[in-house]
Amino acid sequence: MAVTTTAPPAPTAAAASRRGGAVAVTAVLVLLIAALALADIAQGTSGVGAAEVWKALTGQADAADASVVVASRLPRMTAGILVGAALGMAGAALQAVSRNVIAAPDTLAVNAGSYLALGLAAATGVSLPLLASSGVAFVGGLAAAAVVLGVSGLGGGTVRLVLAGSALTLGLTSVTEGLLLLFPERTEGLYAWNQGSIAQNGFGGVLWLLPLAVAGLAGLLLVARRVDTLALGDDAARGLGVPVRATRVITVVLAALLSATAVTLAGPIGFVGLSAPALVRLLARRYGGFSRTRASVTRSALTGAALVLGSDVALRAVVPADVAVAVPTGVVTSLVGAVFLVVLATRGRDTGAAAPPDRLRIRSRTVFLTVTGTLVAVLIAVIIASVLLGDSKLLLGDVVNWAQGRAGRAVSFVLDTRVPRVLAALLAGAALALAGTLVQAVTRNPLAEPGVMGVSGGAALGAVILVTSAPGAGPAGLAAAAFAGAALAAALVFGLSARGGFRQNRLVLVGMGVATASAALISLFIVLTDPFNATKALTWLSGSTYGRTLPDLLPLAVVLAAGLAVAVARRTELDLISLDEDTPRLLGLGVPRARLGLLTLGVLLSAAAVAASGTIAFVGLVAPHAARALVGRRHVRVVPVAVLLGAALVGTADVVGRTVIAPAQLGAGLLTAVIGTPYFLWLLVRTRGGGR
Amino acid sequence: MRRLLLTVAAATAAALTLGACGTTQPAADEAKKSSGHLTLTDASGTKVELDGPAKKVVGTEWNVVEHLAALGVAPAGVADVKGYKSWDKAVPLKNEPKDIGTRGEPSMDTVAALAPDLIVATSDLPQAAVTQLRKIAPVLVLKSADSADPIGQMTRDLDLIAKATGTTERAGTLKKGFEAKLAEGRRKLEQAGRKGTKFAFADGYVQGSQVTIRPYTAGSLLGAVNEKLGLENPWTVKGDPAYGLGKTDVEGLTKLGDVEFAYIGSDDDKSATPFTGVLADNAVWKSLPFVKAGTVHRLPDGVWMFGGTGSMESYVDSVVAALTK
Repeated sequence: MAVTTTAPPAPTAAAASRRGGAVAVTAVLVLLIAALALADIAQGTSGVGAAEVWKALTGQADAADASVVVASRLPRMTAGILVGAALGMAGAALQAVSRNVIAAPDTLAVNAGSYLALGLAAATGVSLPLLASSGVAFVGGLAAAAVVLGVSGLGGGTVRLVLAGSALTLGLTSVTEGLLLLFPERTEGLYAWNQGSIAQNGFGGVLWLLPLAVAGLAGLLLVARRVDTLALGDDAARGLGVPVRATRVITVVLAALLSATAVTLAGPIGFVGLSAPALVRLLARRYGGFSRTRASVTRSALTGAALVLGSDVALRAVVPADVAVAVPTGVVTSLVGAVFLVVLATRGRDTGAAAPPDRLRIRSRTVFLTVTGTLVAVLIAVIIASVLLGDSKLLLGDVVNWAQGRAGRAVSFVLDTRVPRVLAALLAGAALALAGTLVQAVTRNPLAEPGVMGVSGGAALGAVILVTSAPGAGPAGLAAAAFAGAALAAALVFGLSARGGFRQNRLVLVGMGVATASAALISLFIVLTDPFNATKALTWLSGSTYGRTLPDLLPLAVVLAAGLAVAVARRTELDLISLDEDTPRLLGLGVPRARLGLLTLGVLLSAAAVAASGTIAFVGLVAPHAARALVGRRHVRVVPVAVLLGAALVGTADVVGRTVIAPAQLGAGLLTAVIGTPYFLWLLVRTRGGGR
Repeated sequence: MRRLLLTVAAATAAALTLGACGTTQPAADEAKKSSGHLTLTDASGTKVELDGPAKKVVGTEWNVVEHLAALGVAPAGVADVKGYKSWDKAVPLKNEPKDIGTRGEPSMDTVAALAPDLIVATSDLPQAAVTQLRKIAPVLVLKSADSADPIGQMTRDLDLIAKATGTTERAGTLKKGFEAKLAEGRRKLEQAGRKGTKFAFADGYVQGSQVTIRPYTAGSLLGAVNEKLGLENPWTVKGDPAYGLGKTDVEGLTKLGDVEFAYIGSDDDKSATPFTGVLADNAVWKSLPFVKAGTVHRLPDGVWMFGGTGSMESYVDSVVAALTK
């Protein structure tokens, strides 16, 4: 793996002379934070500006202005520093202990775990004091980090960690979003809070949590020396008498504590934990002297504080004060962090080869026919169940009457609205599975998936922009907007990762960056255009078939039919391209052109699916993978099986989402994430050390 | 995996064949046509055809439900019945309507199963959902709110629902009652020397250590009612184009100056009542002139801030009571 930390350089004479540089950099950081802090306390919704702040600080201001400075500006500024520092420290510690530069509170799902824990507390209607809620957040975050690290294996490589983390984030966030939809009144503030904002109601929160952050920092400094030895490798560290496992556990617990502190205070402020240590490393390369854990933790803390304060100051400088209240700091840092992730991924020397093809047994024709037959039966069962089940249960005779146009009024109503939804779920599932199959074949990357690649995110962004700016847009317009967004995201992701032939690391990391950026932009759009209708956007993003009518499905049906035709016609090419780089070329196949064509088709399919049913994750990943496991890797067999699986999976998720909590409902995407996350994690565990 | 798939398929198929034949409803005969045909144009510009005044009506938003209940039409289906009962006590439901799910995503199945004569929805519902509801029954889409003319929008909505349900006479009474209530409130406030009082209404919610406050600007329904009462709206924050709601934080309140401050919370929802909760110890809050002067009023719960004449009348009463104490 290329993008992993390098071992700390041995101290040399040169290092000593560079220490002066390191001290200077630290001093500059402190000055920068001080300047940003001063700028931050002069900004806000009241009329208190720089002059009043000066008066307040020198004790000459009137009581009202002074109270604004003391109870609003100073706590906000302190919270910014505290949150940034805690996240920077946590990120640096996690990266050191996992020997992985992508480890951070976000990528380890710590934030998602805390969010779910707090969401559960909010949904049960329990009103917790601040310290207790940070305890709840800590437990949630720690559990999530434990799962991710357990599944991905420490030092198990960047991609595995990112995948496990983002999969768990997706699954946990889906559950939380389900709670938001189910308890909109109780969790109203939670959605806003989830965007992350450092604004504070007085010093109370900061003062409660400051000791925790200090304890975390002290703890990290204490174990720093042991963490340093871990960089030499587990065996070497053990040889030096360092308890490897205990050191790891302690460090992860401390990092989770720090992240939970930040999350309780300000909500999840995205990607500071990732970018701050990365920036410090860049500086270390130039000035040296930062690679020891003790130094990198403290400097990451300073850099994190500067990042958070800087984002807040920049936001308030750009937009009017009342708008800045509505735009969360976390959205700004997420955008910054996403750009960072992409740059990091494209700059890293990616020597990791593309994964070798799955080593799968050759399956006989009988196996293929049995599997296909069974899946067809399952799909028919799902269709029948979907049509019959719902808030009002129907029987087959009703459907027969309806089909013959002589059903009763109520039955016709129910079926007229239910059948398009069932079709939307089935078609979207099939299209996503086909898209996943194509993209995985073309990139020869078994983990490539429209959702993970940011393509679905781009499509959703395009669609959300159209929905919010032109509410009356028709299905064709929506599909076009989704495709424009998906095409843009795909061009970005594939363009940036094409160098070196879509290596796993780069593709997945760039994809994740784009997915994060599109999610942040969607949040921004909703906050700015329709701040009081978060439910509408959540509904759309949770992959819902709600409110679909037959005309909405036309673009999807057309694209799916075309896609299936192409996939069947090009089955041999797919087999060859997915094999390796050279074979197709030797056989005289125009590889780049074939790749581009098939990728475009994959993007079209994902976009059409998003336009018809919002973002549905994991199907594009799980269905082709399961299909290959069932019937081998020849595409003439994989394509039909994957498509059938995808349709059955989303169809099931849709009918479950419509029935379990009727008359309220959950989006199909939420349920596929809930079903897909464990499968995906299991897949990662199973392939651990399996030669990937 | 394969065996599992086979078993699932076989079991489901068996269950379905055994249990799923027959019908829940006999095949239909032709519906009878009644007289008294109505044609209405709703806020989306759609012509809505009704065979006669609607009797069995479903409402997807609480303001619509309040209009229906006030007009004496017991709604057959209401979104989030529990929430309505908690937030809108001014016009209580007289019947036990069927819960059709959430306000943002009412269940098509449940609405369809009710087989209503009319569905009253608002422009807050996604277009796709409205399109689908139109297949179930005639849908009257109301503009949810209009900050250019909030009271006018409310009464237009009331009138349209009244026309569709044949209760125009009752709507007239309601509007007259509301006008009278406004005039009476205005007179009482003038008598108490409260004409031109700066009156800021807001609500807010808390999460963690953060408080968000929503100012009701002059474009909100309550803001417009305040104006009719002869009160002045001191908010300088810009509201959204529909509801006239802004967003600010605690220090944004310092711009209000010396005003009367009022809010409505809910005892059922602790996070929606920050002003008596977390703000009580906040230095900025405590330094606000209206907090110091004790002119902060918690108006009684159960007045839906986006409701109809009933809620607004209760609101007028509570404002008059608060200011003439």
